[in-house]
Amino acid sequence: MIRATNLHKRFGKVTAVEDVSFTAEDGRITGLLGPNGAGKTTTMRMLYTLVRPDGGTATVDGVDVVKRPQDARRALGVLPDARGLYPRLTAREHARYYGELHGLSGAALDQRVDELVDLLDMKEIADRRAEGFSQGERVKVALARALVHGPRNVLLDEPTNGLDVMSTRAVRTLLRRLKDAGCCVVFSSHVMQEVAALCERIVVVAHGRVVADGTPDALRATTGKDSLEEAFVATIGSEQGLMQ
Amino acid sequence: MRRLVGTVLRKELRDHVRDRRSMLTSMLWPVVGPLIFLVMFNLLASWYRQDRPLELPVVGREHAPSLMAFLERHGATLKEVPEDYEERIRAGSLDAVLIVPEDYGKDFSTGRTADVRMVVDSSRQSARHTVTRLKRLLDAYSQTVGYQRLAARGVAPDLAVALRVDEEDLSTPERTAAGFLNMVPLFLVLAAFAGGMQLASDTMAGERERGSLEPLLLNPTPRGAVVAGKWLATVAMAAGAVLVTLVAYLLVVKRVPLEDLGVKARFDAPAALNMALAVLPLTLAASAVQMWVSTYARSFKEAQTYLSLLMVVPMLPGMVLALSPVQTKTWMFAVPVLGQELLAGEVMRGEALGPVPFLIAAASSVVVAWVSLRITTGLLSQERIVFGRA
Repeated sequence: MIRATNLHKRFGKVTAVEDVSFTAEDGRITGLLGPNGAGKTTTMRMLYTLVRPDGGTATVDGVDVVKRPQDARRALGVLPDARGLYPRLTAREHARYYGELHGLSGAALDQRVDELVDLLDMKEIADRRAEGFSQGERVKVALARALVHGPRNVLLDEPTNGLDVMSTRAVRTLLRRLKDAGCCVVFSSHVMQEVAALCERIVVVAHGRVVADGTPDALRATTGKDSLEEAFVATIGSEQGLMQ
Repeated sequence: MRRLVGTVLRKELRDHVRDRRSMLTSMLWPVVGPLIFLVMFNLLASWYRQDRPLELPVVGREHAPSLMAFLERHGATLKEVPEDYEERIRAGSLDAVLIVPEDYGKDFSTGRTADVRMVVDSSRQSARHTVTRLKRLLDAYSQTVGYQRLAARGVAPDLAVALRVDEEDLSTPERTAAGFLNMVPLFLVLAAFAGGMQLASDTMAGERERGSLEPLLLNPTPRGAVVAGKWLATVAMAAGAVLVTLVAYLLVVKRVPLEDLGVKARFDAPAALNMALAVLPLTLAASAVQMWVSTYARSFKEAQTYLSLLMVVPMLPGMVLALSPVQTKTWMFAVPVLGQELLAGEVMRGEALGPVPFLIAAASSVVVAWVSLRITTGLLSQERIVFGRA
């Protein structure tokens, strides 16, 4: 379970995140929806401990991300905005490296990596060097290394950005499986269809604040709009972010 | 912690070894110094070698039989003159030609000053030694005959010699050779920097450029362990380069006629071991500083630029030392780079130093390394470094 409480972050004079609070339950997929520049990525970065909030706090399974970042990271699997791979390592070596950094080793690690290769359907690329991987293949490798330690909480920053239809479907399937396994899944997106297709719970962020929080139905009800798209526009107060 | 450091170290080395091109660059650098050494020493030796017969083409040999006999007695081999001798002298394939004119015999026997002509190209370094030898021989002959003539007329030959010049040439082959030897410490220290440069650029700036630093730091691995692993990988490359340089020098020295040049330098296996002890600790400091600098760069190329500039640091004291050796003082051993260059130089000259200078030099490198690593680790908590991408 991930809980954010009054997160606030400034970069110089620019306020990136004004005040964000929400709770993401286990066994649910929570979508962080908002236009570009709304503060989604900064919020995610605070949740996964690489940006220190100027105010407020967040907990992952009860662990405070500011006070005990190391333990919080252990409980998190993250697909960050940056998905750089090492061009001279194979897909399998990427997963193994991160597994070892999480303290895994030996047969347990081998088994886990094999599981991920199956789960992400990457048998063909498992032993190829990452140089020249397609966008979809790169995301798969990044996901494999993020999930190698079997985290209970998964954070994904725009996971389907730049992916083709097949890769997008593969990512959606993976997220549903994680949910069914009881994980707490949070992903951010500026594409409403993406969020609508997956989430039981939508947190809409605009100008660094949470402007709506609830199920898609509740969102439609509070705004009085029939379609989710209309509801989105109504909550953020502009059409920004709908242009793809 | 130690296991995590090992994990990072193994990954970095595996990753780097697969990069053929940068491996080649890292390992070619150290061989450059020994190669220059090999070529220069053999050239020097061939210029100065004393026992080589003075090969001398002479025109008009028959006009001066006694001079010819004198030259042959003093080690000259007289030869036929090729048609195109002027061209050959200009091209450097011929050092000098002696021309004896037809009226030499007439002048000589009547006691007048006889002319001979020496054709040389004074801009040719390689011919200088031959030309000097030939000049000396001709002067000696001229003097001997002159003295005999004076003596025959009952005049003391010393009267004709108002001044005797004893020339002391400071540019002896020993000196020149010793100058080249002073380059050995410089190249050893350069190897300590060049060896790890590629890896240091890739492991910090490259990681930022690719966008793999953020995911890496998401692991519950202490940043200190990540930095330590990357640092040790850089140190391994730098130490490898230093050892390659040393071995290359050892092999080269066996093929270089040091004794012919009268150079007294100790360059055997124990001396090489001492030099390794002197220079290897520097790799700790050099690699740590390179990583620190590389962390500021947003791309591999940017890091390469900074690190190339950093290479000037070992060049400066090295150049100064190679040109004009300084009086070694104890505090100098505590200055990284300078200390190592002095130590390696002293070892090569066969000085017994005792362990203290080695310890001082090593300790100062450890301090520099520790400070740089602490700063680098601190940088990895800064948002502008973690997220700032090219």
